[in-house]
Amino acid sequence: MPTRRLSEFVQALRGAGLRISPDEASQAMDAAALVGYAQRQRFHDALALTLVKQQQDKSAFEETFARFFEAEDSRSDSPQDSGSPMPEPAADPSSAQTPEQQQAETLLASTPDQLQQRMAEAAAEMDFTQMEVITQQGIYTRRLLMNMGMGAVDDRVLQLDQGGPRQQARAEQLRQWRARVREQAAGQVRRQFLLHGVGKGRVLREQTLRAVPFRDLREFRDVQALVRRMARRLASLHQRRTKNSRRGMLDARRTMVASIRHDGVPAKLFWRRRPPRKTRVMVICDVSSSVSDAARFLLQFLYAMNDVLPRVRSFAFASRFDEITEDFARYSPEVAVGKVLDRLSGSGTDYAEMFRAFQARCERELDAHTTVIILGDARNNYLQDGAETLQAIRRRVKQVWWLNPESRSRWNSGDAVMDRYLPHCRLARQCATLNDLERVVDSLLGSLD
Amino acid sequence: MKTRIDSVEEITRSFAGQGYICSEQIALAIYLAAQLHKPVLVEGPPGVGKTELAKAAAAFLEAPLIRLQCYEGLDESRALYEWKYGKQLLYTQLLRDKLGGMLADTDSLEASMERLGDLGEAFYSDTFLEPRPLLHALRSDEPAVLLIDEIDKADQEFEAFLLELLSDFQISIPELGTVKAKHQPLVLLTSNDQRELSDALKRRCLHLYIPYPAAELEAQIVAARVPDLDARLREQLVAFIQHLREQDMKKLPAISETLDWARALVLLHADSLEHAQVADTLNLVLKTEQDVTLARELLPAWLRKLGKR
Repeated sequence: MPTRRLSEFVQALRGAGLRISPDEASQAMDAAALVGYAQRQRFHDALALTLVKQQQDKSAFEETFARFFEAEDSRSDSPQDSGSPMPEPAADPSSAQTPEQQQAETLLASTPDQLQQRMAEAAAEMDFTQMEVITQQGIYTRRLLMNMGMGAVDDRVLQLDQGGPRQQARAEQLRQWRARVREQAAGQVRRQFLLHGVGKGRVLREQTLRAVPFRDLREFRDVQALVRRMARRLASLHQRRTKNSRRGMLDARRTMVASIRHDGVPAKLFWRRRPPRKTRVMVICDVSSSVSDAARFLLQFLYAMNDVLPRVRSFAFASRFDEITEDFARYSPEVAVGKVLDRLSGSGTDYAEMFRAFQARCERELDAHTTVIILGDARNNYLQDGAETLQAIRRRVKQVWWLNPESRSRWNSGDAVMDRYLPHCRLARQCATLNDLERVVDSLLGSLD
Repeated sequence: MKTRIDSVEEITRSFAGQGYICSEQIALAIYLAAQLHKPVLVEGPPGVGKTELAKAAAAFLEAPLIRLQCYEGLDESRALYEWKYGKQLLYTQLLRDKLGGMLADTDSLEASMERLGDLGEAFYSDTFLEPRPLLHALRSDEPAVLLIDEIDKADQEFEAFLLELLSDFQISIPELGTVKAKHQPLVLLTSNDQRELSDALKRRCLHLYIPYPAAELEAQIVAARVPDLDARLREQLVAFIQHLREQDMKKLPAISETLDWARALVLLHADSLEHAQVADTLNLVLKTEQDVTLARELLPAWLRKLGKR
């Protein structure tokens, strides 16, 4: 296998979302050269060892590997079965040959290798870099076939269909041949799509996903991966900051004690480390039907950032109020969210009751390091709002944030009473898309430092 | 150190000879690392034999194993080198008279300084250098296997500090200049995935993920490590452990725990998992009360199902 195929494979992997540096690509080539291509599994393992650096990229790698080298295999096998030259019955001497007919004849008479060649030439004339979505593959296949001059063959089939039984049989033969060539062309286009289209499509898709309201997001398959990726990026951004802010003052006592060994010379200095952050985040999520989608993503996001936010306690309420930290400790966020929704979801939110229950349960733990985040639409079913309890909570904690999945204009419409809660919140934001969510969490981490 | 490795199979065979039974992928990683001179980052759940792999590799390559255990707050002075302050001070004390005599005939401060300068870097020379694992590995007279264990426990700064070592096998020490490896060591890093490692580090390494072993492989491992265990019991035990790993456990049992359990069963002369004492030894495999309770409930049902088959 030439290096070109391998670098195309690397390109395809990049398209599938893996980050591969040129250095890693060259390592992969060295490794492949070392183990050879004969043993498929070993070749695969060698590439995996050099190119996949994150366990979560593993499935993308497997998929791309299978699709890419499957196309490779079918290509190398194809000359034997698909392109078998057609024994053209002696051309009817009476019919004058038009240029189109001649073209069809040459195509039909070509050997598999010549056909391959022709297809490669036709493909080279085309610009595949514009391919963005998977549905475009059909159009591109069609265009490739036309470029090869298969149009002439189509005409010939139509023409033969008009004729007698012998000619119709011939037309059938041609149709089958044409189908096989089309398959080959589709394979060629699929590989081109893997090389160019997937990456672009992904960027496009990610942009869309980030801006779509939460309630429509659930239907997308890869949104979990996106949430994780966004959370990881934010986490690594803020991790740096926490580490840097850890420099402290000179620890005079320890330095002096240590200097006794060296006759009073302070040979080794000790530094007082700033104690680790005691930040505690408490999240209260409304999981009634109207808000549960937003809650799902907020919780997923927060728990995906375990590195920088180790002390998150979460609570959920709809008709009932309960702590859900344990669910997230035990299960992956995706599963935990489902369990919580099963247990607590319902309608008839009563915010005043929720504040009281929260206060009763957590009052002793609320302190100046605590941030309370409330996610809800403040739709209180015309019950008491309980703003005074929220005020009491706010007095004990560092800050209260309110995230509302509805747009600002609707914060006080109908039974919504955001105005009653706003004075007690340090920050209130609309939180309806992943973009909003990312911004909120970013400023949350910023405010904790 | 062994310089020629003929094939991946040679590694697998040698490892098996040492009682380290591994999948082909693991052997391939060591093969590529040795041939391409690249460090390997080994990740996987605790107890799947990441550290053992380094020991086996060292034995296979007939090279000394130098180990650096990482922890939070680990810094250069613990990992790379340190000046022996105590010794330096002692020497200055002892040499005080000599220094005094040497400087006696100088008449100005500048002259004394100049004379001191002539002493050169005597006090920052090899005599006073305390090499730590990394420097040991670089200056070792024969190529070594360097194990940097649990890199995820060290701080990010340390990770960044390692980059130079991992890509160029050299390290810069301000007082001594750049120390290049006499022989390139085979570097293995292990991580339990406590935190995400930086891309820069991952880019420089081959990445090997060791998962929990499949039933067949695990049975081979138990057979190699606890040969006294009855074959039928071994099958049962491995199948049960595999079954446990599918359960919703707080901490999944690792290979090391399977082996502990197997050894305990040998001591108890158990011949099958129905043995009365087996349930009491579950705490060798599972480390939290909740898990043990769950496993106790599972065991009879599982045995019944096995009996039916």
